[in-house]
Amino acid sequence: MIRVLRSYDWILLAGIICLIGLGLITLYAAVYQGDAGLWKRQVIFLGIGFSAFLLLCMIPLRFLGLVSWPFYLLALLLLALVPLVGDIQMGARRWLDLGVMNLQPSELMKWALMFVLAHWFASREANSLQNLGVALALALLPASLIIIQPDLGTTLVLLFAATAMLIASGLPWRWFGLAVTLGLASLPLLWHFMHDYQKQRVLTLLDPQSDPLGAGYHVIQSTIAIGSGGLFGKGFLQGTQGRLHFLPEQHTDFIFSVLAEEGGFIAVMFLFMLYTILITRILIISYRAHTRFGSLICIGVASVFVLYITVNIGMVSGLLPVVGLPLPFISYGGSALVTMLAALGMVMRVAIESKEHIPWQRPGSPLV
Amino acid sequence: MRKKQLESRQRFDMRMLFFYAVTPLLLGGLSLHLLQLQWLQHEELALQADENRLNIVPVLPVRGEIVDANGTGLAMNKIAYRVLLIPERVDGLDGLLATLSETLKWSPEKLKHIRKRIQSSRPDRPVLLDDKLQWQQVSPIAARLHHFSGVDVEAGSYRYYPFANLTAHLIGYLSLARKSDLDAGYLSTEFIGRAGVEKSFETHLHGSPGSQQEEVDARGRRIAVIKRAPSVMGSRLQLALDIDVQKAASEALGDRTGAVVVLDVETGAVISMLSQPGYDTNRFITGLETVQWQSWLNNPEKPLLNRATQAAYPPASTFKMLTGLAGLEQHAHLATTTTQCPGYLELADRNLRCWKRTGHGEVNMHSALVHSCDVYFYKLGDQVGMAAISDTAQKWGLGEKTGIDLPPESRGIIPAHRPYMMAEMSSRSSKRRHWFRGETMITAIGQGQLTTTPLQIARLAATIANGGKVLKPQLLAGADAEIQHQIDVRPDHLNIIRKAMRSVVATPGGTAFRPLASAPWKVAGKTGTAQVVKMAQDDQKRSKLSRDEILKRHRDHAWFMGYAPYDNPKVAIAVFVEHGGHGGSDAAPVAAAIIRTLAAKEAAAK
Repeated sequence: MIRVLRSYDWILLAGIICLIGLGLITLYAAVYQGDAGLWKRQVIFLGIGFSAFLLLCMIPLRFLGLVSWPFYLLALLLLALVPLVGDIQMGARRWLDLGVMNLQPSELMKWALMFVLAHWFASREANSLQNLGVALALALLPASLIIIQPDLGTTLVLLFAATAMLIASGLPWRWFGLAVTLGLASLPLLWHFMHDYQKQRVLTLLDPQSDPLGAGYHVIQSTIAIGSGGLFGKGFLQGTQGRLHFLPEQHTDFIFSVLAEEGGFIAVMFLFMLYTILITRILIISYRAHTRFGSLICIGVASVFVLYITVNIGMVSGLLPVVGLPLPFISYGGSALVTMLAALGMVMRVAIESKEHIPWQRPGSPLV
Repeated sequence: MRKKQLESRQRFDMRMLFFYAVTPLLLGGLSLHLLQLQWLQHEELALQADENRLNIVPVLPVRGEIVDANGTGLAMNKIAYRVLLIPERVDGLDGLLATLSETLKWSPEKLKHIRKRIQSSRPDRPVLLDDKLQWQQVSPIAARLHHFSGVDVEAGSYRYYPFANLTAHLIGYLSLARKSDLDAGYLSTEFIGRAGVEKSFETHLHGSPGSQQEEVDARGRRIAVIKRAPSVMGSRLQLALDIDVQKAASEALGDRTGAVVVLDVETGAVISMLSQPGYDTNRFITGLETVQWQSWLNNPEKPLLNRATQAAYPPASTFKMLTGLAGLEQHAHLATTTTQCPGYLELADRNLRCWKRTGHGEVNMHSALVHSCDVYFYKLGDQVGMAAISDTAQKWGLGEKTGIDLPPESRGIIPAHRPYMMAEMSSRSSKRRHWFRGETMITAIGQGQLTTTPLQIARLAATIANGGKVLKPQLLAGADAEIQHQIDVRPDHLNIIRKAMRSVVATPGGTAFRPLASAPWKVAGKTGTAQVVKMAQDDQKRSKLSRDEILKRHRDHAWFMGYAPYDNPKVAIAVFVEHGGHGGSDAAPVAAAIIRTLAAKEAAAK
C-alpha cells in the first residue's frame, strides 16, 4: 500500500484538489443567494467522484484493454436503442430509462470510444488506410447516432478526442489537412441538417445584439459580467450580475462568468494556471507511460479536458456558440464531476503503472 | 522489430510535443480575449452592469396645500398607498390583473379603464393602477410582492378636498399626467391641476420630484435603495376665500342653481365664489370613470360650469345704475328732474311695459332706482343713446374679462358700441338686421342682448362702493389691490346712485327692504329680475325637456348686487339665481345670510 502511495502522481492530485477547491468557492458564490443546497450536493458528488477515482486507480490497464471492445459494443447497442425507445427531454432524444436511473448512452460512448481507439492503436499506427479506416468507422458510427439525437456538444467531444488520438497515433499531417479541408467544405451541408435552435445559436454568436432579450441575452449578460469584473474583480460575493440573477445558468454552464466577475482577470489567470498544470501533467504521464494504450488513454482524457475548457469559456465570453459543455471541476453537475474524476483515476493508474513494476506487465514492452 | 518499435516510439514522442503546445496556445488565445473584455472594455461593460442593476425611480413631490383665509384646509393631502405597474416587466398581464382585481375589489368598469390605461402608456414607464388605498387593502400584495413581477406598492399622498362640492369651481381638480404632459417634463404617475386654482397655480403648488437610486434584480424587483434625492414640496397657497361665507351662501341658496360672488371692495379679494350645482372633485383623483364624467357633462344643470365667471346672463335692473350714471354725465340736471310713469311707454310699433302695470306715477332718478321703474330708464336710455350706455358699461368693467386667475372667463356682451355702424355692417350679412330705438331702451334696463357674469356684477358693486376703482379680483390672501383703471366719476353723481341703493334696502317699498332692512350691517343694493320668456320659447321648440322643466325655465333669473356696510364699505356682493324668480324675494335673502355671517365673524373677532 505504501508503495502504491509512493507511486502516486502527487502533482496531478494536487492540481485536481486545487481545482476542486476553486470550484467549490466559485459554486458557493453562484448559489449562496438561491439554492444553497446545491453546494452541499456538489460536495456529496465529490465524495462519489473520489471513490470512482480511487477505484480506477486500482484497476489494471490490461483489464481495461480487455473490456474495451465489449464495452464499446454495449455502448453502441444502447446508443442504437435511443432513437427507438429513448425519452425526449428538451426537444432531444438522449436518454434511456433503465427503471432505476436515466442513462445517457452518449456519455458512455465518449469513454468507450476512447478505450477502443487506444486499444486499436496500441499496436498500430494511423498511417495505413486500413488502420485508419477501422478507426474512422469506430468513431463515425456512434457520432452519427449522437448527432441525430441531436447532441452537437457530445458529438464534438467524440470527434475531437478521436482526432487527438489519431494525431498521436501518427496520422500523416497531409491527411489531417485534407480531412480539415473536407470538414470545412461540408459546413454548409451540416448547416442544412442542423436544427433550428442550433442554427439560432450560431446566428446569435455572429451577432448577439440582434436579439438582446432572446437567444443573445445569455451571451450579452455573461460578457457584461466578465468585463465588469475588470482586472481585479468585484470581490467575493460582490458580483452584481450573478447576485441579481442577470446571469443565466450561473451555477452550471455560465459559472465562469461568476468567477470572472468576482475574481477578475487575476482569478481567471489562476484558473488557467491550474488547468495548464493539470493538462501538462496528464501529457507528461502520457509521455512516461510504459504502454501505448496508457499513453493514448491520457491523450484522450487530456483532449476532452481541453475541449471542455476552451468551448465553455469561449461560449461564455462570446467567442463560440452556446454549446452545453461544463467547465471541468467548476460547474455544478454530479455526473460530469464523477466521470471526470473517474477518467483522472485512469490517468493516475497509468502514472502508477509507469513507476511501479506490475507483475502482469511484460517488462520492456512499449506496446501492450 | 525492435528498431521499428523504437521508430514508432520516437514518432509518438514527436507528436506529444504538438499536444504540449496546443494547450497553452488555446488558453493563451482565450486569455487575450478575456484581457480585452476585462481590461480594454472594462469601463464600458461595468457601466452596462450598473445600468442593469441600478434603477432611478422618481420620488413624487407632495403638492402644496390650499387653505382659506382662516387657515381651514380646502385642498389637503392624505397618506395612502398606490399600486403601480411597469408593463414591460410583467409576465402574464391577464393573470396578474385578475389577481390584483380580486384583491383590490375592482369593478369590471374600473378594470377596463385600467387595461386601457396600460395599453396607452409606454411599457417602460410606471402606470398607476389604483390609488387612495389603505394598508389593509394593499398588504396582501405588498407582502407577496415577489410574486407580482413588475408591480410596486408605494406610500404617497393623494389630494383630498374637504369641501369638494362647495369649492369645486374655484379650487378645481387634478388628474393623472397624459402623454402630452410627459413631453412637458411631468412623470407618468404625477397628478396635474386641470381646473380652477389647482390649474392656475399649478407651478406654485406642484413642487419638484426627487429621485431614488435602487438596486434591482433581473426581474426588476427592488433589492435595496442606494441613493436618495428628496423631492421638494409644493408651496402652500392661502386664498382670500372664507369657507364660512361660502357655506352660508350655499345654505341660503339651497338646492337652487346659481352663483354668489363676494369681493373685498378695496382689494378685490375674492371672499366667496360659489357656483351651484357643484360636483365632487374628490372623484377625479382615482381616475374618473367615463360614465360619471359623461353624466356631469350631459346634465342639463351643467354642474361643471362655473356660473360665477364662465356664464353670462342679462343683468336686468342691476344695470340701471349704469344707465343712470350715463344720464347724469350727459345731463347733470337729471338729478332733479322728474318724469311720469303710467306703467308703459308708447313707441311707434309697440308698447314697452313697466314691471308695475299700474305705473309709478311721478318718479325721479332716486325713486326710479329705489322702485326699479322701467319707464324712467326707457326714457333715459332713449335720451342718452346706445353709445353712451355702452361706453359707460365698458368703463365700469362690463363686456371685458375681469382678469381673475381662473381661465377660461366669459366677457359677457355689451351690444353694439355704435348702433348705426351695426346696422350698416349687418346689411352685408345674409340676415338683415336693424338696430331699433326700442332695443336701446331694453338695454337701458339691462335686458336684450346685454349679458354679464356674476363676477362682473360683484365688481360693479365694489367699484360703486370704492369710488370708481375697477379692481382685478384677487384669489390669494393678502394680495395687494390691483387697480385696472380709475373712473373719473363725479362724487355727487355717485352719491345719488349710492343713496338710491341704500334706499332700495332701507325704505319700506324698496325692492330689497324686506330681506335686508334688518341685516346687522347697513346694506346698499339693487335687485334685478331678468325675463327669460324668449329663452323659454326656444326651449319649447327643442321640446326635449319635460313640462315641469319648461315651466321652471319660464321663470325669471333673480339678481341682487350691493355692498356693505353702507357708511364704510367692506364687501361687495353679487347673487344670481338661475330661474330663481324675483330679485327681491329670491336673491336678496342669500345676500342677507352672507352679511349675517360676515357680521357675526367680525363680532366674534372683536
